[in-house]
Amino acid sequence: MSVPAVVFDEVSKFYGEVLGVNRVTLNIPPGITALVGPNGSGKTTLMNLMTGLIHPDHGSIRMRGISPRDPEHLMRITGYATQYDSAPRWATGFSFVTTGLLLFGYGRAEAEEKAWKALERLSLTEAAHRKVAAYSKGMRQRVRLAQATAHDPELLVLDEPLNGLDPLVRAETIALFRTWAAEGRHVILSSHVLQEVDVLSDQVILIANGMVVAEGEIRNVREEIHEHPSQFIIRCRDASRVASLLFGEDHVTEIKLNDDQSGLLVMTRNRERFSRALSRIALNGHGIDGVIPADENVDALYEYLISGK
Amino acid sequence: MIPVTNTPAPGTQHPRRAAQIWTIARIELRRAFLSKRAFWVYGLALLPSLIFLGHGIEAKVRRERLSARSVIPPELLDGTREGESVEAVLNRLGTPARDDQWSSRRRIRAAGGTTNITSHAIEPAADARFVRLNIIRPTYVGDQTARIYEFEVYGADRPDNLALMRPAAGSAPCHPDQGPEKAFNGSDSGGKSDRWCTHQWDAFLQVDLGAVFEVRRFVVRHAGAGGESEDLDTREFNIQVSRDGKTFSTVVRESGARFVDERTSHRMLVYFDGRRVGNLVFDNGVLASRGIRPLLDFAEDRQIFAGVFQYFYLRLAIFFGCLGIFMNLFRGEMLDRTLHFWFLVPARREILLAGKYGAGLIASTAIFAGGALLCFAVMMWPQDPVELQVYWQGAGMAHAFWYTVAAALGCIGYGSVFLAAGLLLRNPIIPAALLLAWESINGFLPEILQKLSILYYLQSLCPVPAPMEKDAPAIIQLLLLPAAPASRLGAVLGLLGVTALVLWVACIAIRRMQVSYTAE
Repeated sequence: MSVPAVVFDEVSKFYGEVLGVNRVTLNIPPGITALVGPNGSGKTTLMNLMTGLIHPDHGSIRMRGISPRDPEHLMRITGYATQYDSAPRWATGFSFVTTGLLLFGYGRAEAEEKAWKALERLSLTEAAHRKVAAYSKGMRQRVRLAQATAHDPELLVLDEPLNGLDPLVRAETIALFRTWAAEGRHVILSSHVLQEVDVLSDQVILIANGMVVAEGEIRNVREEIHEHPSQFIIRCRDASRVASLLFGEDHVTEIKLNDDQSGLLVMTRNRERFSRALSRIALNGHGIDGVIPADENVDALYEYLISGK
Repeated sequence: MIPVTNTPAPGTQHPRRAAQIWTIARIELRRAFLSKRAFWVYGLALLPSLIFLGHGIEAKVRRERLSARSVIPPELLDGTREGESVEAVLNRLGTPARDDQWSSRRRIRAAGGTTNITSHAIEPAADARFVRLNIIRPTYVGDQTARIYEFEVYGADRPDNLALMRPAAGSAPCHPDQGPEKAFNGSDSGGKSDRWCTHQWDAFLQVDLGAVFEVRRFVVRHAGAGGESEDLDTREFNIQVSRDGKTFSTVVRESGARFVDERTSHRMLVYFDGRRVGNLVFDNGVLASRGIRPLLDFAEDRQIFAGVFQYFYLRLAIFFGCLGIFMNLFRGEMLDRTLHFWFLVPARREILLAGKYGAGLIASTAIFAGGALLCFAVMMWPQDPVELQVYWQGAGMAHAFWYTVAAALGCIGYGSVFLAAGLLLRNPIIPAALLLAWESINGFLPEILQKLSILYYLQSLCPVPAPMEKDAPAIIQLLLLPAAPASRLGAVLGLLGVTALVLWVACIAIRRMQVSYTAE
């Protein structure tokens, strides 16, 4: 059985003369995928394309096998928490979520039960019967999230979903995303908080100027970046001796010693040879307490690929 | 990781499309009925009812007042004849419900007064070389322009006009070709350029006879003699003579005594026979005219209703009401930035369109078909029960039905057009103006194009032709009257056909529609 994926094939979108995204080709497997890029890079455009709010000028999109032009089927398995801040004027938090569920075909009792659960999950029960228009920005963010998740979608598209959430709700929401990802669902989110993305996502899609700069698991993406040496932090008892041994390796470009002599930062052009060299040093009796990759994170990828440092 | 297949979430059944349409419509009914924009739609729908209500209340109050004073048998009212004296009528009909008296005056020429030409003999005759006409009040109305077509001077023993073609002087003329010499050229038939006229104060006209003559008579031809209104004749003037041109003596003083006020006393007796009001007008005590008409004229009110329904209700109220309701269904969502909410539900876009159109249709039909029926009921409320019974036994029910159908179909037709316009265009003014223009010029179009007009079908459904003044300008008649009424079945089918065509275009538009709030 093939794993359902989100597939973009040479997708381009223009807003008149302005480029939205250009020739985007993606294959996003289930799990948590983060769209990362600066403002105006095309993240929201990609999400709107995924959910059919806008249509591509070129190329095709399949969302777990369904075209975004078929909302009747796509939206049954999809939840999209947009960044659009407004809700219908008539909507209270509760009616906003319930109405969506009624349109999914749930009976009223079941729809109300699910809506209540979703609001509860996002700590909105107290404000559930107030008009959404009177909510604070954070509450509106939460109610959008509640609406997007109330029907337990298989494909969740979330535009900056964690903005405005308090730490407890944020942790619960992240846990929920993880659970869903583990169940084989898609959770596609955008965030400008890189640390959050780093912790949260299985894979990243880096976007700049409407084009996908890199996609995949963070480590794999990092390995593809050859122009920047890989960085490792080594924890050891005799840092200066280990440093002198590593200096003999031609793939090591730079070493920085910690002030306390208990660790060092090594930059290498060849991760495999570095690994073998480190093994040799450990076998020769030099105590190595731990090795941590220092730039296998979204921050570093963003810096290398988008900021151009 | 467990792959998940695309199956509906547990517990959901695939919603039937009809159920989705109804769910969407139910939500949208709130917007259609209760949004701030909807309140002026109510105003449009209820305005005719309010007017007829005012008319009905006024008629009821009048009936109560007249009945409280006196009610006479109908045959007595019918028995009155023009020429009867007021006393005779009062004796026979008794005390009227109302008795009003007033008098009028009108200015008429005094008996024997010469029309437009005044002749002034003086006795004894005076010796004069210079004769001067001084204008004191130039006209009988507010106009301050003096106009003299001819001023003639006659001697004691000569029949010819001594002033003819003699050198003349006078106040500055109001036009270069209307100088003082024109009053002495022997003619008054050459129109305005054959007169002397002046705006100047004080106005005078003087002629030099060339030598001293014994003068006995003057003739003045005023504005009326030259073809102008007699109200512009000189009202007050005098004539002076002089031997030397320096010392003048007044020999004629003339004022508007040639007109007198004719006074007429009027009396109007109003009688009421329980249904009809008779206004008997007496001039100087003699019955001059009698107007007997029902207090409420049901036939006339039905005609007025037909006019109000076709000229106001169909062309304006339903038109602009549907503009407000249906344009708002999608445009309003765009402006509120909430359209994405609808585009993210698991429903085909056509289902969304149908739901919203259904909501607009329910709201507009309830408002306007209900409004038309209410207006119809209010129009009938004060009418005579016997007439009403006859009407209901005849065409009444069919009339009410077809007015309701026309209003409902108006909502269906205009609703579809404005719904589509709301999807295709940003500015509602443009489609409204274009459609209004298209509907208005319907009468000028070839027959095939006439059938692409909503109004063409709606007018064909109206049970009573709208009244139209026979002397109304042809352009107005063309704009207001239906071009070539279709049969009722043809009208209903035609309108539904046009609606289906427009909705099909709307379906294409909504399938292609994208959410782009930044462009708003």
